Amino acid sequence: MQDCLKVVVAGDVDAGKSTLIGRFLYESGSVVDGAIANITESCRKQGNDFEFAYLLDSLEEERAGRLTIDTTQVFCRDKKGRQWLFIDVPGHRELFRNMLVGSSYADVAVLVVDAQRSLREQTKRHSQVLKFLGIRRFIVVINKMDTACYNKKIFLKEKERVSGFLRKIKIKPACCVPVSAKQGDNLFNNSRRTNWYKGATLIEALTITCRKPGGNNFRMPVQDVYKLEGKNIIAGRIIAGRIKAGEKVNILPSDEESRVKEIRVFKQNIPSAGFPENIGLILDNSEGLARGMILAKPRLPDVKTRVLAKIFCVYPLKIREGLRFKSATQNVAAHIKRIDAVWGTADLKARPKTGLLRQTDLAEIVIAVERPVVTERFEGGNTLGRFVLENKGREICAVGIIA
Amino acid sequence: MKNNPYLDELESKSIYIIREAYWEYKEKLAILWSMGKDSTVLAHLARKAFFGHLSLPVIHIDTGFKFKQIYEFRRKYAKIWDLDLRIARNAIALKRKISPVKDGRFACCSQLKTEALKQIIRKYRLRALLVAIRRDEHAIRAKERYFSARDKSFKWDYQNQPMELWAEHYKTNNQAGAHLRIHPLLHWREIDVWEYIKQEGLPVVDLYLSRHKKRYRSIGCQCCCQPIVSEANTINKIIKEIRDTNIAERSGRSQDKEREYMMQKLRSLGYM
Repeated sequence: MQDCLKVVVAGDVDAGKSTLIGRFLYESGSVVDGAIANITESCRKQGNDFEFAYLLDSLEEERAGRLTIDTTQVFCRDKKGRQWLFIDVPGHRELFRNMLVGSSYADVAVLVVDAQRSLREQTKRHSQVLKFLGIRRFIVVINKMDTACYNKKIFLKEKERVSGFLRKIKIKPACCVPVSAKQGDNLFNNSRRTNWYKGATLIEALTITCRKPGGNNFRMPVQDVYKLEGKNIIAGRIIAGRIKAGEKVNILPSDEESRVKEIRVFKQNIPSAGFPENIGLILDNSEGLARGMILAKPRLPDVKTRVLAKIFCVYPLKIREGLRFKSATQNVAAHIKRIDAVWGTADLKARPKTGLLRQTDLAEIVIAVERPVVTERFEGGNTLGRFVLENKGREICAVGIIA
Repeated sequence: MKNNPYLDELESKSIYIIREAYWEYKEKLAILWSMGKDSTVLAHLARKAFFGHLSLPVIHIDTGFKFKQIYEFRRKYAKIWDLDLRIARNAIALKRKISPVKDGRFACCSQLKTEALKQIIRKYRLRALLVAIRRDEHAIRAKERYFSARDKSFKWDYQNQPMELWAEHYKTNNQAGAHLRIHPLLHWREIDVWEYIKQEGLPVVDLYLSRHKKRYRSIGCQCCCQPIVSEANTINKIIKEIRDTNIAERSGRSQDKEREYMMQKLRSLGYM
C-alpha cells in the first residue's frame, strides 16, 4: 500500500480552506455517491449556493454559521492511487487551540490566502506555529482568483507580499499557485483562465514523498511495566533506532545499564525490533524501572534539571507558576525560571518581558524541573526534542521545543 | 516480522493509545465490542497491547435485534479469546418492546444503545471505554479526538474539545462522574481495517462476505441494516471492491440518514 501524505490547510477566516479541500476531493473522484446531492439539498433549504466546504463542515452550527469550528480530517485518493490526508483547521483566533491539534503531525502545509484580502493575522500565526511544530515544506495558494478576474498583476503582487513575510520567518515556500477553489482552477489541471501561469498545479505540488526519519540511536520511553507470567515486561514504543536481544541499554535519567533478555511482541519473542514498534522488553535487571524513564543506546540524550527552550503559548502563562513538563512519557513538576525573549506572532515584534506570557506569544525561556529530565535538541520530528507544559487543570498551556 | 510499514504505523499509534488508557484507568476501562470488523480489530489490538493477557472487561450492547450470525460469533470468540464478556441490555425498554418501526429510529437507538450503555457504566462504575469508531465513517466522527470526554448526562461538548499533540500527548483524565471515550482506531480507514484483518488472519462475521450476490458492508441491528450488491466472497475481493467503490460505507445504515444532522444529535446525547 502506498503512503499517505498528511497535508494541513491553514490560513485566515474565509480564505476558503474548507472549500479548497472539498473541491480537491471532488476533482479527485473521492466524494462518495449521494454526498453532492445531499449538500445541494441542504444548501437549497438555506437559500445558499452550492458549498464544497459542506463536505467537511458537518456540524449544524458550522453550516448555519458558515465557519469551521473544529479541526477535521479527510482522506483523499485519486484515480492513480495517490493518497492524501487533508487536515482542515479553523481560521478564527478564538479557535486557535483546535488549529494545533491536527497540524502537529502534518508533513506539508498549504497556506491559503484570499487574493482580494491578502495576508492577514491568522495566516501569519499559522505559518509560524507550523514551522515551530517541525513542518518544513510549505505551499502557498492564492485563492479566489475568480474574484480578481484571474489577473496576473494581482497574483504577482500577492505572491510577493506573502513571500516577503515568509522570508522574515525563514520559510521558503516550494511554490505559489493561483487558484479558484470554487471554480476548480489549477487544482488538477492548468487552467486556461490563468494561461500566464506556467508553474505547478496543486496536485503536482502535493505529489511528493515525505519521510520523517526516527534517527539511528535507539530510544524507548517506558510507558508502563506489566507483571505477567512472573516477569516484569517493560512496555513502550520505540521512537527511534533499533534494539536486538542480548544488547545492553542505558536507563535514563538514572544512568544505570542493563541487558535485554527478551523482546516481546504479542505472544512471541522476536530477535530485534525498531521504530515505530510497540514492544515489551524483559531486562536482566528491571528493579525500580517505571513509566517516564528512557531506554537508550549507544549515543545518549542529555539529562537536565534546567531546560533551555522555545515555547508557543496556547493559554496565558506566568513565570514561576506551577506546571508539569511532559515529554514522551516523562511528567515532571516544573516552572518557568526565566524569560529571555518574547515576540508577538502577528507582528513579529519583540515585547517587553513582564513575567507574563499571552496566548499565541512565542518565547525563549529557561524551565526548572523538579527531577532530572531526558531531552535532545529538536530536529524537526524527534520526540525527546519536544514537550508540552500543562497547568494545574491538566490543560496544555504551551507547546515547546528544546533549544 | 510484519511486512506492511503503513499498517505497522497505524497499529503502533493504536496500541500506544490503548496502553495510555490502561495506565490512567486500569480496571475502570472496558472495551466495546459489537462483533463488527472494527471492534474485532480493536479487541485484537488490545490483546496485542497486553501481550495476549487481556484483563479488561469486554462489553456488548445487545439490542436484541442483532443478526443471529453476530450472536454465534460472540459465543465462539469470547471463548477462544477468553474474554471477560459483559452484556449491556436496557431491560425496561426491551420489556416494553421498543422498536424502530413503532418508536422511530432515534428513540430506538437512544434507548437500546445509549441508555443500555449508561446502565452498564453505572453498574460496573466504569470511567473509560475503548470504542472502535473511525474518522472516515462519518463527517461527525471526523471531528472526534482520541480521548473524548462525556459529561454526567453523556453529552459530548464538541465545541470545546481539548488539545492532542503529535502521537504522544492526550488529555487522558476526566472529571469525576463523567466518562471518557477513547478511540484507538480513529485514524484508520475502512480499507486499512480489511488489509489488517488479512495481515493478522482475523475472523469476521460471515455477513460481510457475499452470498447470493449480496453482502453487508457495515453490520448492526438486522432491522436497520441493508446489504449491498456485491460478489466479494473473500477478504481479498472485499479489499478490491472497496478500492474501486464510490459508495459510502454506512450507506446501508438507516440511523445515519433518517433526518439531517441525526448522527450529530444521536452523538451529542452519547451515541457512539
